Amino acid sequence: MTHYIQDPALWALIAGTPLAATAIIRGRKARAKLSTEKAELENRTADLENNYAAAVQDAQIRSEEATKSALKSAMRTLQGLANEQQLAITKLQDRYGEHHILQDLLEIDHMNSQFGRRAQSIAVLCDGWLGRQRAVASVYDVVRSAKGRIRHYTRVEIRSQSNFALVSRAVEPVALALAELLDNATSYSAPDSPIDITIRTVPKGVCIIIDDAGVGMNEEEKNRADELLSAQRAAGVTGLGNPPQFGFAVIGVLASRYGFTVSVDSASPYGGVRAVVLLPEDLLTNMPEPEEQPAPRTSQADAAPEESDSTAGGLPKRRRKGSISIVPRSDEENAPARTSEETASIMGAFQRGTQSGRSANPNREGHDPQ
Amino acid sequence: MTAPEEQEPESAGLVRPYVITNGRGLPDTDQFNLITLVTASEQRRAPTLDPEKRSLLDLCSGGYLSVAEIAGHMGLPIGIVKVLLSDLSSDGYLVTRAPAPPAQLVDVSLLQEVLDGLQARFG
Repeated sequence: MTHYIQDPALWALIAGTPLAATAIIRGRKARAKLSTEKAELENRTADLENNYAAAVQDAQIRSEEATKSALKSAMRTLQGLANEQQLAITKLQDRYGEHHILQDLLEIDHMNSQFGRRAQSIAVLCDGWLGRQRAVASVYDVVRSAKGRIRHYTRVEIRSQSNFALVSRAVEPVALALAELLDNATSYSAPDSPIDITIRTVPKGVCIIIDDAGVGMNEEEKNRADELLSAQRAAGVTGLGNPPQFGFAVIGVLASRYGFTVSVDSASPYGGVRAVVLLPEDLLTNMPEPEEQPAPRTSQADAAPEESDSTAGGLPKRRRKGSISIVPRSDEENAPARTSEETASIMGAFQRGTQSGRSANPNREGHDPQ
Repeated sequence: MTAPEEQEPESAGLVRPYVITNGRGLPDTDQFNLITLVTASEQRRAPTLDPEKRSLLDLCSGGYLSVAEIAGHMGLPIGIVKVLLSDLSSDGYLVTRAPAPPAQLVDVSLLQEVLDGLQARFG
């Protein structure tokens, strides 16, 4: 046994054991700590990974909102200017109706309408102002209004009319959506090919059918259009592509906001695209009564017995339209009556004047030096 | 002449004049001037006639109206009304009549004779 005691290895062992034990314990502790740290880190990265998508989306939404509000207010200014300009042009057209300048004014008017529509379309994508509320208008007039907002409007032929009118809140959005469809139709077809519009009454409302003779759309384009038109894809100003394609995005927003449907999935008889706008019944109303004719015919017409429309010789009689014949009523009623004293003094003054004129010396030239 | 509710200062008409004429230029002919008189003919109207043309025909179906009066009633520039009128008259919907010619100048010697006669009798 003693030789064991003398063995330095034993002492070394004895001394080493607690050290080793401490080292082992420390190592274990460190490992445990590391593993918790690792778990923590793992958790944190998972968190970050999860939040990353949300954070990016958040940033995207915020930048989209900022873009939208900036564009919205810019467009609002432009739209206001376009409207003002349109009014100014209207006045000029009335003033120079007979002048050669009218032709140029009509062209300027056309350019202004296109400019106004562009601003309106961007405003729609930014949830902005659509324009002033219009009066109830016939479907035919709304289609014609849309036609006037595109560049090559003379290629658009409206083949039929309709007895329906659009309620006032739908006039501007439908006109704008139609204008975007027509713009697409004219842009993607040959420069001299016609665009046909047919208005058809269907059980669910009124259909406006736009046929072009263009090249049509491939599957990918159709899918994109369908997504945008059915508002599955949130349209925004940032997702329009480069160069930006506004058309379908604008139409999709308008259709979902005002409750009409637009489809472009069929082919036109000319091989191009057939776009169908279905206006449901709640956007439709009866045609407004024409108000110009009966209103101005007032007292005179009522008092006089109804005359026949032709003379004894069978010639048509010219009938005065009410608004021309509104002559101010005879003045006696309105003019304040003069009292007899006033009348007498006026007559007296007149007489004195003529007398002095006759007695005056004809050699004097009217001026009396005194 | 427009009805008062149409005179809203804020918004211009929905259908612009260049759409009504479909971009055509103003007629060069002197067929219509401000005092040319027109009236609607007996011809049956096609159902596809534009609303403006229809109301124009309604307007002058009662007898002869001058171009200036029609433009005033329709609230359209005169040039646009002339385009519509020339369309309608070439389609046979309208009859036009030249304005009455101005009175011929009477010979001065004739007037002098009348004056002399009057003076001889009453003077």
